[in-house]
Amino acid sequence: MADPAPIDPRLLEILVCPVTRGPLEYDRAAGELISRTAGLAYPIRDGIPIMLAEEARVLAET
Amino acid sequence: MSQHQFVATQYAPRAEDYVTSLNHSTGADLDQMELELQGCQAARVLDLGCGGGHVSYRAAPHVAEVTAVDLTPSMLEVVARTAAERGLSNITVQQAAAEALPFADASFDIVLCRFTTHHWHDMEAGLREARRVVKPAGKGVFVDSVAPSDRLLDTHLQAVELLRDASHVRNYSTGEWAAALERARFALTSVTARKLRMDFPVWIARTRTPAHHAAAIRSLQVDAPAAVKTYFAIGEDGGFDLDVITFVLGAG
Repeated sequence: MADPAPIDPRLLEILVCPVTRGPLEYDRAAGELISRTAGLAYPIRDGIPIMLAEEARVLAET
Repeated sequence: MSQHQFVATQYAPRAEDYVTSLNHSTGADLDQMELELQGCQAARVLDLGCGGGHVSYRAAPHVAEVTAVDLTPSMLEVVARTAAERGLSNITVQQAAAEALPFADASFDIVLCRFTTHHWHDMEAGLREARRVVKPAGKGVFVDSVAPSDRLLDTHLQAVELLRDASHVRNYSTGEWAAALERARFALTSVTARKLRMDFPVWIARTRTPAHHAAAIRSLQVDAPAAVKTYFAIGEDGGFDLDVITFVLGAG
């Protein structure tokens, strides 16, 4: 599988979680932006982060 | 299905139509918006509800960065592609809801928002979010179609808008707009009112309005009271005048 399209670094500077406004971790391999504070992983499709809670993957409790 | 998903679904097949729409790609309100960006070369701009991207294309040559946000993924794909075709490398696109923006406080110098607020499920939440992500001394330009404050005229407009587009939420009056902007702590710098002529066949083709809804709109127009026909200047072909307002805002 090809690498997912990378997210624009200019966006990464200003993006926060829309639910908690907490920080996001960029998981490039998975193509996701992870909000630990909300327990959600936001998908990145074709280089566009999908910053909608209803589209996010719920992180498993660890 | 949430209202967000519903709006995105409604607009998904229409993205290309909005890039070529003359009502959206041209207009005195866009010219005014462009003038407001003079001397803002270092500015980071948010195009909130970018649709076909016309605000972003106009703004990009005048400013440092434009972030174009919309709910509809196909709109964003079209905007990213069109920006690349036009050599506008300082436009980035981002899917998000206006009511819950994924940006840190004070991320932008300027927020631009055109013909989109009437789709928001919660207008006041969207305005609060816009205020939050703009710097305290930042600037805003909001453009939208508005409803007359007269209840008879207002009801006609909302009915026609809903028949045309099932994702229509509400056109607010100028007074409701001004009050909502104030509650969101925006300071009103200027208000400009314009009339925009809607060409009926073009207007319903853009939203892919079902034929029976288009017929219902025509029926409402033909049977409308004289005051409604006069105010909206409803023509024989269903064309009519829509009120469009530009609000220019400073820090509140």
